[in-house]
Amino acid sequence: MTPLLEARGIARRFGGLVALDAVDMQVAPGTVHGLIGPNGAGKTTFLNVIAGAFPPSGGSLRLEGGDITALAGDARARLGIRRTFQNLKLFPEMTALHNAAIGLHADGRAGVLSALLRLPAQRREEREIMARAAEALDFVGLAGQAGRLAGTLAYGHRRLLEIARAFAPRPKLLLLDEPAAGLNPTEAVALTALIARIREAGTTVILVEHHMDVVMTVCDRVTVLNYGKHLSTGTPAGIQADPRVIEAYLGQDALAEALAC
Amino acid sequence: MRWGTPVTLLAAALLPSALPDAFLLHLMTSVAIAAILALGLQFLLGVSGQLSLGQAAFYGVGAYGSALMTGAGLPFAAAVPLAAVFAGLSSLVLIPVTRLRGPYLAVATLGFSIIAYLVIKNEEWLTGGSLGLMGISRPALFGERLRDPAHVYWLCAALAALVYLGLRRLADSRFGRAAHAIRQDEDAARASGLRVTLIKSQCFVISAAVSGLAGALFAHHIRYLGPADFSFWKSVEVLIMVVIGGVGSAAGAILGAAVVVLLPEWLRAVGDYRLLVFGGAVVGLMLFGSGGLAGLPGALRRRPEARP
Repeated sequence: MTPLLEARGIARRFGGLVALDAVDMQVAPGTVHGLIGPNGAGKTTFLNVIAGAFPPSGGSLRLEGGDITALAGDARARLGIRRTFQNLKLFPEMTALHNAAIGLHADGRAGVLSALLRLPAQRREEREIMARAAEALDFVGLAGQAGRLAGTLAYGHRRLLEIARAFAPRPKLLLLDEPAAGLNPTEAVALTALIARIREAGTTVILVEHHMDVVMTVCDRVTVLNYGKHLSTGTPAGIQADPRVIEAYLGQDALAEALAC
Repeated sequence: MRWGTPVTLLAAALLPSALPDAFLLHLMTSVAIAAILALGLQFLLGVSGQLSLGQAAFYGVGAYGSALMTGAGLPFAAAVPLAAVFAGLSSLVLIPVTRLRGPYLAVATLGFSIIAYLVIKNEEWLTGGSLGLMGISRPALFGERLRDPAHVYWLCAALAALVYLGLRRLADSRFGRAAHAIRQDEDAARASGLRVTLIKSQCFVISAAVSGLAGALFAHHIRYLGPADFSFWKSVEVLIMVVIGGVGSAAGAILGAAVVVLLPEWLRAVGDYRLLVFGGAVVGLMLFGSGGLAGLPGALRRRPEARP
């Protein structure tokens, strides 16, 4: 089976710093693929390269077999690669509903003229966009917050709203960058269930996460990076038993314990 | 608030019957034209977050464009929209600078404004140079020249109302939401699949076309054009209108235009000090908060409570 995403020899250098060094990764369709590693291993850099936030210094990326290495981030988003951000990037002055509607922008067609004339086709499209945006809010459990400004939402709700905006167009691939950061244990459990439902809805997920509970519960496969290099890929259980992985985390007691449990 | 627009429209429509004074109607026509100009920048700054100090250039393209086209025999009703379109197209030369943000964009557009001013001042064969263009035709509708100041006023006020409603519709649409999102976070907008540069450029073209429409009306209202009206000071004046009216508020832009046009007239009583008083009033208004005139009721209501 063709992998949904195939990264080959991805490298990324920032000046003299080698953030990623010839990383290979294959993500099977319909899976949740974890991406873990000690701090500074290059997880977020890898996610940014996949999303197209900046180009790789070397290597290639294929989505469903098609080369996307040269595409800019917005073009990849239109192809069906959506993401969330580690440090939350919402549109704070817009309502939750409109934030989700921005996620659906690429599915619409209405331009300047039809907006001025308010043609029936434009109004129908607006109704459809808003209905789908509301559906996405409902999916993540924010139906009650639709009319609130994103900037006034509670922290946990803002994390969910980012997921709603990214998931609203039912992307092929959803990149989640530490979605559990700052969440309390109850919220983290709910997030784990949400990621599983996103997979059931047919969207493949790449999950960068430090919460090992979340990673080990929901991931089908896990890739471990260390110092910008691919260290190991396998099932959550296989990763936990891999001596190289344990060694990489050695000295980081908390994470080593988390892995052991 | 729901009645604000219809009541304002009715008051504006009845004004000539209530106060049939030629000078007052002349002033109110200037307010309507300034309002169109301010609405153009309001859309660019308030919705898409792009600060332009080059609006005088597009205003000038519209003004000279329409004056020259009617001078060459084109009817008013064709020349004015064509001049607006031409002003919009002229902004396409600025597409490379829409990548710039904040103060960098402001200075780049300011440079464009200075170039446009120099062209107007020096290309005598086209613009008449410092002498300007004289004897520009009156506005005309259906082949009938509008000699009554009330008719010119109605025409300009109606176009201002149309621009207001059009830009409100645009702001509240798929396109407007995208522009608004880009203003708040370009990275997140890109990650959502928005063509950021295209949308920002479209906002620029729309804003420039609206400014060009204002310029065209100005040309046929004043019927004389000289370079002084298109200096960079005009660009600053438009920015003052938008900011004292309240960035992000279309109604505020109209209010701001009215203040900037009318206040110096009312202040004629204080003679040479009028611009000083005007400047002081602008500073004072800013002290009340960044919401401008549109945000004033809210700012006053909040005042008794402890400030954050």
